[in-house]
Amino acid sequence: MTAVEPVPAGPLPAAPPRFGAFRRFARGYLDRPAGIAGLAVLAAFAVLALLAPTFIGPQQLEVTKASGPLLAAPSGHYPLGTDETGRSVLALAIWGARSSLAIGIIATVLTVLLGSAIGLLAGHYQGRLGSALMHLTDWFIALPSLPLAISLSAVLGQGSTSITIAIAVTSWTSTARLVRAQTLAVEARPFIERAKALGAGNVQIMLRQVLPNVMPLILVSSTLTVASAILSEATLTFLGLGDPTNVSWGSMLNSAFAQGAVTAGAWWYLLTPGVAILIVVLGFTLTGRAVEHVLNPRMVNR
Amino acid sequence: MTLLEVRDLTVTYRQGGRDLPAVRGVDFTLDGGEILGVAGESGSGKSTMALSLLRLLPPGAQIGGEILFEGENLRTATWGRLRAVRWAQASMVFQGAMSALNPVRTIGQQICEPILLHDKVRERAARQRAAELLDSVGIPARRLNAYPHELSGGQRQRVMIAMALACRPNLIIADEPTTALDVMVQAQILELLNELVSGTNIGVIMISHDLSVLADMCSRLAVMYAGRLVEIGPADQLFTEPRHPYTLALSRAFPTIGDPVSRLAPAGLPGDPPALGTQTSGCAFAARCSQVLPDCLTRDITLWPGGPDREAACLRVLPEYADGDGPATDVPAASSAEAQATAERPATDEQPALEVRDLKVTYPSRRGRGPARAVDGVNLTVGAGEIVALIGESGCGKSTLARALVGLVKPTSGEVRYRGTALGYSSSALKRYRRHTQLVLQDPAGALNPRQNVFDLVAEGPRLHGLTDDLTARVRDALARAGLRPPEQFFGRFPHELSGGQQQRVVIAGALALEPSVIVADEPVASLDASVRGEILRLILNLRNELGLSALIVSHDLGLAWNIADRVAVMYLGRIVEVGTVEEVLLRPKHPYTRALLSVLPDAVGDQTPVLLTGEPPEPTAIAPGCRFHPRCPVAAALPADDPKLQLCRTRELPVLSGGGHASLVACHLATEQAAASVTGA
Repeated sequence: MTAVEPVPAGPLPAAPPRFGAFRRFARGYLDRPAGIAGLAVLAAFAVLALLAPTFIGPQQLEVTKASGPLLAAPSGHYPLGTDETGRSVLALAIWGARSSLAIGIIATVLTVLLGSAIGLLAGHYQGRLGSALMHLTDWFIALPSLPLAISLSAVLGQGSTSITIAIAVTSWTSTARLVRAQTLAVEARPFIERAKALGAGNVQIMLRQVLPNVMPLILVSSTLTVASAILSEATLTFLGLGDPTNVSWGSMLNSAFAQGAVTAGAWWYLLTPGVAILIVVLGFTLTGRAVEHVLNPRMVNR
Repeated sequence: MTLLEVRDLTVTYRQGGRDLPAVRGVDFTLDGGEILGVAGESGSGKSTMALSLLRLLPPGAQIGGEILFEGENLRTATWGRLRAVRWAQASMVFQGAMSALNPVRTIGQQICEPILLHDKVRERAARQRAAELLDSVGIPARRLNAYPHELSGGQRQRVMIAMALACRPNLIIADEPTTALDVMVQAQILELLNELVSGTNIGVIMISHDLSVLADMCSRLAVMYAGRLVEIGPADQLFTEPRHPYTLALSRAFPTIGDPVSRLAPAGLPGDPPALGTQTSGCAFAARCSQVLPDCLTRDITLWPGGPDREAACLRVLPEYADGDGPATDVPAASSAEAQATAERPATDEQPALEVRDLKVTYPSRRGRGPARAVDGVNLTVGAGEIVALIGESGCGKSTLARALVGLVKPTSGEVRYRGTALGYSSSALKRYRRHTQLVLQDPAGALNPRQNVFDLVAEGPRLHGLTDDLTARVRDALARAGLRPPEQFFGRFPHELSGGQQQRVVIAGALALEPSVIVADEPVASLDASVRGEILRLILNLRNELGLSALIVSHDLGLAWNIADRVAVMYLGRIVEVGTVEEVLLRPKHPYTRALLSVLPDAVGDQTPVLLTGEPPEPTAIAPGCRFHPRCPVAAALPADDPKLQLCRTRELPVLSGGGHASLVACHLATEQAAASVTGA
């Protein structure tokens, strides 16, 4: 290496494949049985929710068209019994997954986008902007989230949109704190200085250097956020803030409670949406833990 | 009397179902009162070997062989017996004094702990003993109630030594005791350790990556490579006439200043140390050896006698392979040619590449301290195609100066000029400037984003500057120039898959991809292994010779300046105190500080009395009036109290060295030949 030989001319090799990281991730994930179980649960629910319109029609969902016995216990024809208007609880639970999952996921996307952006900005600009954003975050943390969500949906009106917004507004703070802490740690590392010396500006440092290093954390936190968003959705709908004509797990719980399922001993009516929530939340949590383990930088290299 | 006898010691880690042999068949003995040095690169197994002696390794490690300590086999001793031996009879000095001390307990409590545990004395007696120990390591006894963070790095290492001596052990194992310390503090600690064990019957095993430190300090030396001892023998002989080519490379890695062979010719070893568990048959060093024989790859290598009281694991010490004067005599042929190339470099009288005028960087005061004058008036010139070394202790402001030069730190006053135009600090001006001046950082592992592959890492600069037309060719070129060949093989690899030397090459390639004309390198080799160090320095030297790059290299190591620099500037507490050509400054130093730095460089020959500066480098928040060096200056200290010159030192501030041109300049009231004589006489 005492002299630099001329680089031989010829066709230039292409840049390396970009999916190596993903392949490594997939291989690591498949080593974790709990993660596979979680993913399988989620896939099953997602398929059911997506295919629901093909086998559940208005005659099973509309109160006026329902034909079954009222509040009947599980039987061969109605595996999970019926509700107070004679609708199949199984069909309701499957249909309810659509809006529960949709609201949970959309609220999570909003939460993560808002929280990551604020956390990244607060971590990168450590001056006035950073402390202002952190004060804002502290202020939102201090607010009790349930009353805030209730008053928000009261202002925005009933319906899934307002519930989604209410969930996002009340739950972005923990993501923001997490991302800010990680951003601070990454910003202190020498490769940020190298990037600056190469001529990178603020935006390039945040997006090209910091974000890829914060991304695993964001992914992990978002899978866990979905679980809590689905719970919040159920809570808010149960409290009667959702769209009354729309079936979701929360609204099922609400009507079961309101129609006296407890006193009638109609356990199938209460338990079905409750167990569905439990399983989906568990699925997201298992998936999140597995992702965390695979992406943890201390375990990724070996 | 034999204190410790190690026979066929092996340590194997089990990882992922594979056996990784970290230490393979090590034999040695240690007598009481003897200091044995163990040298080797990172991953050579030296620390594992040291920890295994007291069975301090993590549970996954399996130890084989015999460890006979005062006749007792520690490998098979019960845990209770082992606990009794640990610290009471054999103690350790760990490397990172900050992490080895408990931050929430006072140093007094921590020194007392082993005394109370092993000696079964009362609290008061233990504190009495702790106070004596602190006193003996040169820390006032009243500091017993200090917490570790209140002490400086050197003082913490002294506390570690006091702790090691607490129970009057017979054996002390010192694992890189001075690695993280400054040259001056390192010299103080080594002196202290030597003082404390000389005349006693304590045996010491001292581990270091720096052969020259060990050669200075130890009576016998052992060199480890890939888990094996490759050479063992009396320290001075082993250092001056190594029998194993690896020992030769290690001893050459830190040059002797004044030795013309190493001037502008850093010595290094090609390649990287083998990874754990990849050893094949034959000599583990064969892949990097400059004088490999056919039999090296097949024949089993063990330690063979290579002279009186010496052994080396090299075929060439065997009579049937000896040719003439034996191994370890080659001089790299490249060195003279390179020196030639340098000498023939036309004297450039064009504008200097980089120029600093009266630069000051002051950080605002924090927590009751005054403002920190990190850089306090510096003039410095880096000519076109010139390599300038900036030398100083930690905290002297050299890294701040380097960052100011590349525009990462905005100076409080003064200016940085690139080819005669002053640097502007608008973001567009800075961005333009960054195409010309690039930074290389100390720790390559940290300087590379772990989530980018080599291609993206090197392409980062060109992408930021919109030079994406022939990106692949540009990246390939830069990698090839940085010595990573063939470059295509490295494109898809990630930093953690590369060795330390390769990582630093990627950092350099990333800088080269912008085709800069100046490189500012902040301690580019400080975190690299000794054998890799020379290779990286040679790369920088070649880049200068072939591309005409100018470079400013920041370091604490004067040997580095001798290796590659044309001129050298010595910095103390925010100011440059001496600047000139390397030959002038290093061979005929005028400033007492430069003299002191040169005198503490470890040299096995030992013909120089080290001038130890007292104390630690002071903080830039409290700069002494007058000459800022006078509180630690050995020359000023030797003057009688009423000497008018001393008054000068104490009261009159020295002018900022102008630094232009190639004259040697020194900032000292006493820098006369007479003063020089008094230093050498002292």
